[in-house]
Amino acid sequence: MTVSLTIENLSAHYGTTQVLKDLSISVAAGELVSLLGSSGCGKTTTLRLVAGFLQPTSGRIRLGDRDLTTLPAHARDIGLVFQNYALFPHLTVLDNVAFGLKQRGIAKPDRAKRAMAMLERVGLAPLADRLPAALSGGQKQRVALARALVIEPPLLMFDEPLSNLDAKLRIDMRVEIRQLQRANGTTSLYVTHDQEEAFSISDRVAIMNAGRILQLDTPEVLYQKPASAFVARFVGFENLIRMKVVERQAAIVTAEAAGGTRLHLSQDLFGPIKDDFILACRADGLAVRRDGEGIPALLGTRTYLGRAYQYKCETAAGEITANGPLSDPLDAGARAVLTPLPEQCCILDPED
Amino acid sequence: MPTRIHPILGAFAILVFFFLLAPLVIIVGAALSDTTFLTFPPQGLTLRWFANIFQIEAFRRTAITSLQVALLGTGLSLLIGIPAAYALNRYRVELPRWLSTLFVLPILVPEIVFGFALMKSITIGLGLPVFISLVVGHALLILPYSVRVVGASLASFDFSIEEAARSLGCPPLKTFMTVVLPNIRAGVIAAFILAFITSINDVSVSVFLTGPGISTLPIQILAHMEQFFDPTIASVSVLLMLVTVGVMAIVEATLGLTFLTK
Amino acid sequence: MPATIAVILLLVIPVLLTIATTFGEAGGPFSTYAAFFKSGFRMAVLYRTLQIALITTAIALVVGFITAYVIAQMPGRLKSIMIIAAVFPLLTGVVVRSFAWLIILGKNGIVNNVLMSVGLIGEPLSMLYTQGSVIVAMVYLFVPLMILTLVGVLEGIPRDLIEAAASLGARPVPTFLQVILPLATPGLIVGAVLVFTGSFTSYATPQLLGGEKQMMMGTFLYQRAMVTFDWVGASTIAAIMVVITIGVVLIMSRMARRLNPMAV
Repeated sequence: MTVSLTIENLSAHYGTTQVLKDLSISVAAGELVSLLGSSGCGKTTTLRLVAGFLQPTSGRIRLGDRDLTTLPAHARDIGLVFQNYALFPHLTVLDNVAFGLKQRGIAKPDRAKRAMAMLERVGLAPLADRLPAALSGGQKQRVALARALVIEPPLLMFDEPLSNLDAKLRIDMRVEIRQLQRANGTTSLYVTHDQEEAFSISDRVAIMNAGRILQLDTPEVLYQKPASAFVARFVGFENLIRMKVVERQAAIVTAEAAGGTRLHLSQDLFGPIKDDFILACRADGLAVRRDGEGIPALLGTRTYLGRAYQYKCETAAGEITANGPLSDPLDAGARAVLTPLPEQCCILDPED
Repeated sequence: MPTRIHPILGAFAILVFFFLLAPLVIIVGAALSDTTFLTFPPQGLTLRWFANIFQIEAFRRTAITSLQVALLGTGLSLLIGIPAAYALNRYRVELPRWLSTLFVLPILVPEIVFGFALMKSITIGLGLPVFISLVVGHALLILPYSVRVVGASLASFDFSIEEAARSLGCPPLKTFMTVVLPNIRAGVIAAFILAFITSINDVSVSVFLTGPGISTLPIQILAHMEQFFDPTIASVSVLLMLVTVGVMAIVEATLGLTFLTK
Repeated sequence: MPATIAVILLLVIPVLLTIATTFGEAGGPFSTYAAFFKSGFRMAVLYRTLQIALITTAIALVVGFITAYVIAQMPGRLKSIMIIAAVFPLLTGVVVRSFAWLIILGKNGIVNNVLMSVGLIGEPLSMLYTQGSVIVAMVYLFVPLMILTLVGVLEGIPRDLIEAAASLGARPVPTFLQVILPLATPGLIVGAVLVFTGSFTSYATPQLLGGEKQMMMGTFLYQRAMVTFDWVGASTIAAIMVVITIGVVLIMSRMARRLNPMAV
């Protein structure tokens, strides 16, 4: 039984500060959607509203055909995985996993059997009699996952579940979470501040800032075609260059940045260009050449990245970060030209 | 985001707070009553019972003794308690375990037993003057509080900053005074307040250590009550409550009253 | 350390010497204890003391736990005010707090005044110097201590766990019974030990509200030592008090450690 989650026009306040502004999002049945943003963006608030730990000031939350908005938390039937695991320290691993089944009035032998089966799926059956204090961080997170899954909830929610684990384990666990979620086909909402984690695990990602969703798209679209300067910066576009069109000739546009730097850009390659725009380029999206057409630059510090050299460049349009080929290292103080590569750059509206 | 409280639980809590505070209000009322016996609500209002306190020489004398004993005892207990707390935390690994257990003992031994034992051994046995016995007894009574409260703030003290000071050329004692002490200020103040309050209110130890001519205020109140049962006692109690208010004001001024909630 | 020497010289040795004197009697090393346990009057004092301490502890546990639970749920500002309201009586002396109950329960006290004016009784009741009056005053004395101990314990239970229980479908009552209560148990034991030892060894309150009729171990010790000057008898009482206090602390702290869910 997979159902969709629909959040309509949700607003929330802490005292008089509005922390969520008219937020709408829908998660399709079986889909995993991440809420991604820095702390204070409202992602955790959204999750807590859906869980029933907070009350919205307006808006509705629906899960399938059930309206959750006013239901108490214990009646919502949502599997929740906490950042700090939130395992009951006085209960064994098995009893932790069986806790939700017990609340549902399932008889003891049956719930032990089901909890054990779930522990087997996460590979922790041998530790069933341990107390949580005797587990490692990764094991605790698996128990938390098993505990949330065993109640077969129509919706699973994750609140930064991997942020307390070390880097290697984080990657293993996210693969594991994704496999379990796929196998069960459970609709899921995943909150994280880690872009890589969100992109690797999700069907779609919602990038949030100041209580709003800025863009909700697949990781591929977000990575390649951010819709705004904020999102571009968030997904790792190092260089945002404000430009103004000074001349249009057929598809070719001549644009000028601060300091008088001029570029000729083809709308066939870059897409339509408005008179006032931002040219967003990743460091990889700027070719570093000794000469040619582009932004004249004075090279600064060179850093070895393994696959390329990265240069901090002084230009008339401000400081720019660009990657050059390993085959042709340039020294600090050298003069070079930076050329935007259309497939790694995008044209955005100016902010404000 | 507090969860909702069941109204019955809330009402119960309100009753408990009434139970906790009403008796203190009653004392204030009784102290103001214009009757020669203790009663509440007060019948007529007067301040004469407060004036009466100052007419009774024993109250004035024992109040001064109580203050002296509390200040000296607290000072003494901090003087030996702070180094003990420091050593227990600084050299936790090197020190034998029985040492920290030793400082729990004064809590395990009933105060009244301690008072009796101390009277037998130092007042009678060694023939120490009553006042000295009182100060020593109080200092020891409150020593565990000093060690534990100061120790609690030392537990979160990062001893590497002490090493940093030493490496920058600061001698040991100066390091302790200028680096360690300021960082455990809250603990020292809290210990002082707790110790002072415990000392000034003590009965169980003092009852054995007071002697001819020298007594503390709580003991004097007990003695007075056996003979007179007039509102004077209530007004002395009000003055003692004002001391508590004063102490809480000091806490508010130095640590903030929220300190008490920790 | 000077503090170590002070504790050993002025506490350990005097207490041990006091206890030692009880074994040096002419009738054999345990004769004073035999006398104590054979005497109906002395045993009655011990039983009464244990009984009052146990009842006080039980009432303080229930009252303190409910109140602490309410306080722990309150929003910040209100919580601080309630805690301060509990600290104030705690910082007020035992004499003052016991004395309040003399005014309340006395012949001219409030309870008698109210009951008489309502017409429920014609003569003032004598409520002082009864076991009830001692227990009421003891509960009054120790409830703030219990509240403060338990507020700390309840605040230490992570909110996450309550939310996790709710997300797994636990209603408030099962959440309380299956999560909050087991996690608070070690704290309840600590509170119980503090109140039990405090009331078991109290002196001023039974002195004021119990008098001769409701003699407890503390007042009995004082009476033997300072009124009848029976120092060996007083030392015997002291030894019994020390043994019971330390015994209770050891047993309960072992129990708390076994029940501590955080222990591996």
